[in-house]
Amino acid sequence: MHELTAEVVSVRQRGEHGFWVTGFAAAEVAESVRAGQFVNILLRPGPLLRRPFSVYTASAEGVVEVIYKPVGEGTELLASLRIGDRASLLGPLGRPFSFDSAWGSVALVSGGLGVAPMPLAARDAKAAGLRVVWVHGARTSGELQSEWSGDELVEATDDGSAGFHGTAVAAVPSGVGAVLACGPNRMLAAVAERWPEAQVAVETYMGCGTGVCLGCAVPKLDGAYDRACKEGPVYRAAEVDWAALPSQLHYAVA
Amino acid sequence: MPDLGVDLGNLKLGGPVLAASGTFGYGTDVPLLDRAKVGAIVSKGIFLRPRPGNAPVRIAETPSGMLNAIGLQGPGVEALIRDYCPLWAQWEVPVLVNLNGESADEYGELAARLDGVPGVAGFEINISCPNVEQGGIYFGNDPRAAAEVTAAVRRRTQLPVWVKLTPMVPDIGVIARACVGAGADALCAVNTFVGMAIDLRERRPRLAFKTGGLSGPAIRPLAVHLAHQAARAVSIPVIGIGGIMCAEDALEFLIAGCAAVQVGTATFVDPRAIARVHDGIGEYLERSGLATLAGLPRYLPRD
Repeated sequence: MHELTAEVVSVRQRGEHGFWVTGFAAAEVAESVRAGQFVNILLRPGPLLRRPFSVYTASAEGVVEVIYKPVGEGTELLASLRIGDRASLLGPLGRPFSFDSAWGSVALVSGGLGVAPMPLAARDAKAAGLRVVWVHGARTSGELQSEWSGDELVEATDDGSAGFHGTAVAAVPSGVGAVLACGPNRMLAAVAERWPEAQVAVETYMGCGTGVCLGCAVPKLDGAYDRACKEGPVYRAAEVDWAALPSQLHYAVA
Repeated sequence: MPDLGVDLGNLKLGGPVLAASGTFGYGTDVPLLDRAKVGAIVSKGIFLRPRPGNAPVRIAETPSGMLNAIGLQGPGVEALIRDYCPLWAQWEVPVLVNLNGESADEYGELAARLDGVPGVAGFEINISCPNVEQGGIYFGNDPRAAAEVTAAVRRRTQLPVWVKLTPMVPDIGVIARACVGAGADALCAVNTFVGMAIDLRERRPRLAFKTGGLSGPAIRPLAVHLAHQAARAVSIPVIGIGGIMCAEDALEFLIAGCAAVQVGTATFVDPRAIARVHDGIGEYLERSGLATLAGLPRYLPRD
């Protein structure tokens, strides 16, 4: 794990749906990060606590990108950063997705901002020799993510305005060797019902990101609480007590 | 570099900046930090038995602060002894165990179980727990109950016994004196303030537990005042706690009469916070021409 003051080297917006992508020069993170891991970003001036973001891309040039939608104080500040600005990055943090070449193929299932870990998941899956099917769902065609990588893309929209009419979970083709998913927790609960062995990356509120505050509790079916930042954020779908995991995060510092 | 050592009577510390309970785990999950600059570690609060903790949502950020309602999640004392004490025994930095219970007897049993275990340098009693046997009133809100818990631990150990005071009392001096009378070696002031934040969309508290403990810079002036009041009320060392983010914040507590400080929430933001505060105190003493922290003049008029 590293803590570094990283310079912003790119800022881009993805389409009309309001996703932002900010790139930081963070070679130590870029070299070691694996799909599903995150960085905890400190914004100064800004809110007291760091804000966790799944690493979206990591380049050979040492640039780490995060993708987000400005919805609260932290994400709005992040979106206000311009090239040359700096922020402290702590990471990579958390347990990544794991890959097994015996699967043959893998479906990456993402909903909304659940695209965040998927470019790296596609990279790591290919490195494991897997055929990659990326299934992405959005409410409507305007919110679809245009960046993807892999061997096959399946798009789904809730309103049927593009691709498969229905959820990303329903659009997953049969015959894939394994499923990896990220998206709203209610989508992940649906993944867990259909593929108990799927690996899913969950979202929780988070304090430290390093395992000491116990704020990012993930309820498990055995009755214990895990730390999303340490044992997670990637879980075997069947382990999580989905009914007890808050289904939707929304916050703004007053 | 000035001498930052702290003499707490029956415990000598290499530095005045300690890791606060519940913000440092069991000392094994804080990366990047130079442990040599940690004066002491106070462990995550422990009960006799394992506890799962509260359901999420457990934390909520508020202006310059955070609310937490973790629910004292922990593995219980036997797992602590098995999994962590052997590691602590190898470390230079002293580790004190933060004790919790539902009755005075439980606190005493915990101290007895941990006394003499290699790696345990002392105890910090969390008196901000409800006394389940006596109608659920908080030990820390009642001088008799606070003294009873302190005495229950004191009887079972010769190791240093600290009591962590709650700020949710009308007169902290009364509780402080009660703990001294029951045999405390030092007092830690203060624990978190009870607070609540409301989710406007759900129209309910943001925390599943409804209320939580407020920490961070938001409480610092309140905590400096209470630590100062405690220091004026007693003649044993007081360890200041509350929203310390940098050396200047720590120095406020030290000048207000504290012998040492604990850093908590700052570690969540910056894993190296304790070392940064330690170094900054040294630089301040140097700039002030002081060779030792003990020589720092305190603002502590006696009543």
